[in-house]
Amino acid sequence: MTDRLFPSQEIGSLAKPRWQLLGQRGEALDDAAKAEFRRWDERISFSAELPGLRDALLGGRTSDADPDAVRDLGALFALRLLETAGLDRVYDGEARRIEMYEHPIRQMTGFRFQGHVRSFDNKYYLKAAVTDEVRLEHPYHVEEFDFVKRHAHATPKLPITGPYTLADWSYNEYYLARQPGWKGRSARRAAQREFVVDLARRALRPTIRALIEHGCRVIQIDEPAAGTHPDEAALVVEGFNAATEGLDAEFSMHICYSDYRALLPELLEAKRCRQWAWEFANRDSPGHDGYAVLSALAEYGDTREVGLGVVDVHRDTVETPEVVAERIRRASHYLGDPRRIWVNPDCGLRTRSLPVAQAKLEAVVQGAARARADFENPRR
Amino acid sequence: MQVHTGLTGPYPRPEALIHATRDLDRGRTNAEAVEELYRTTEQEVVALERRLGFDQVTAGFLRWPDLFRPFAETWEGLAVGPLTRWLETNTFFRQPILLAPLGRTERAFAARLPPPLRAQPDAARLLLPGPYTFAGVLENRSGETDEAVIHRLGRMLAEEVRELRGAGFGSFLFSEPLLVVHPPEGPRAEAVIAGYREIQSAVNGGTSIVWTYGADALPAFPLLDRLPVSVVGVDLAETDVERLPEGPQRSGLGLGVIDPRTTLGEDPVEVARVVRAAYARRRPPSVSLGPGGPLDLLPWDPATRKLGVLPAVLKALGNGGPS
Repeated sequence: MTDRLFPSQEIGSLAKPRWQLLGQRGEALDDAAKAEFRRWDERISFSAELPGLRDALLGGRTSDADPDAVRDLGALFALRLLETAGLDRVYDGEARRIEMYEHPIRQMTGFRFQGHVRSFDNKYYLKAAVTDEVRLEHPYHVEEFDFVKRHAHATPKLPITGPYTLADWSYNEYYLARQPGWKGRSARRAAQREFVVDLARRALRPTIRALIEHGCRVIQIDEPAAGTHPDEAALVVEGFNAATEGLDAEFSMHICYSDYRALLPELLEAKRCRQWAWEFANRDSPGHDGYAVLSALAEYGDTREVGLGVVDVHRDTVETPEVVAERIRRASHYLGDPRRIWVNPDCGLRTRSLPVAQAKLEAVVQGAARARADFENPRR
Repeated sequence: MQVHTGLTGPYPRPEALIHATRDLDRGRTNAEAVEELYRTTEQEVVALERRLGFDQVTAGFLRWPDLFRPFAETWEGLAVGPLTRWLETNTFFRQPILLAPLGRTERAFAARLPPPLRAQPDAARLLLPGPYTFAGVLENRSGETDEAVIHRLGRMLAEEVRELRGAGFGSFLFSEPLLVVHPPEGPRAEAVIAGYREIQSAVNGGTSIVWTYGADALPAFPLLDRLPVSVVGVDLAETDVERLPEGPQRSGLGLGVIDPRTTLGEDPVEVARVVRAAYARRRPPSVSLGPGGPLDLLPWDPATRKLGVLPAVLKALGNGGPS
């Protein structure tokens, strides 16, 4: 519960600006990248905090800029973008991460990258196999969190990929090979359980513990794969509970593009999960109430907070504050308690251009303000 | 009795082709260079299939964006819809949208077949969506009932098969995961049978294979046993061989013995044991072995490594097959 209704938060990644991509590769910025840098610096004023880099990047001396310093600047840029939009909880847009799978896997041993798999059309992703026991080389995300903590004006909320998703997006060799006999469904399930629990205990939990020791208080565990196999919802929960066992922080679980009802009631056994951060706007259309599924939480008597997705991250059309406010009102109706609602984008805004992402974040904040005013002054 | 081996779905693209298609999208290479790479890779897949002793070759169906797009883009009455998750995988397809009565343009689909197959149709195994799975994935805005759509798709696919038979093709594999993921019952099951009757009539002495995967096939066996086709395949990573219904099975028995969900290689002796057990229970006239699901869930190298187990399985079975 919070002091005021409908506080707002980020949910994940932002697109990396072109100047950052070129700059961290040591390549000279082209005209488009320079223009992008100047435009955003005027709008959200981020470069003066790390002096020298602006001149190096815009002056054609990219090779003088340390790639790590360029990443710092990228993180600061994302942080200020989120703060300027008015969010109460922020992070760095995952500016330092390759992406949400490959980055954590590269911090562990026991994995071997196998090559690319087609996601659709000419889009591919790199996929690893677990070929040995999972071992954490060192806790990850700690340095990036320290940087955010030093620079953030709003409260930092750190996103971290959950053990079930890391396992589901990997090939299971090591744990499957330990199963005797034919590698059928029951062997595969048993092997996957061992894999998820090992990831949770050996990689996620030590990392989360280190983050907490560095002062991280709000942690979002991302489980986008949770909806891929609804009959494994109990395993999602087992991974979550093992990753957070004995740890004290405000934990949330982010799931998207899933049939949430199919994950209930098993999901409700996630012991230390304080908030469900789910996508809804993508499924909300004039003929279909995307928020009606929230009534399932009420049916099961679950009273946790909900991180309410109120803008669709797969469409460029920017929702108006009124659309956002109306979605919040509907969600309040289904939950029966507006105090449980945080508002956020459906998912990470990485697939949208930065101007569209910023406009959508502003719509989140403005829509929340409008809904707040309605609840506080119902006759207005 | 003989044991046949072959591919049962699309093959993964190799890294070089992946980089080339990415570069094409980013304007860093041209279509001619990518086309040349497609051609050489298709020949590489055919060479691999021949080296492994497969009865027919597929050339991998590397160019197709997904199983349905060749039809969604060439049949009248269909449109290409939004990205949609493919079963319980992290891969996606564009959902076909059925807007109006279907019509087909002669030779439009055949033109999308891999060139090595068009050059030698009698050695080719063609990959097609099964009518039930096709009907199950599309968004039906036509106003027709599901049963009518299943039957209609069966007729449309039969027309394609008839044309392809005329061009010398003789082997057709229909990918039908939904038959086991959501087994049809009642009128829908009858529509599936009716659709395959149309198809089998068009196959006319050739080989028709229905390949299922993605779920336990046991609940679907009452229907699978009625399908008027040459071979029915089940995914042994999902289906418990010890619980297969007792035969005799009228059609050939397809067994998905390579699991594309893991890079872990299969043990040929263990595979041979399971094949013998399945044969003993079902007593089919023939056995066909292949990947349980689409091998393009794996990258090229592990897929190729895993596929290489099939000759070793044949050897373990004593070449002549299970007895």
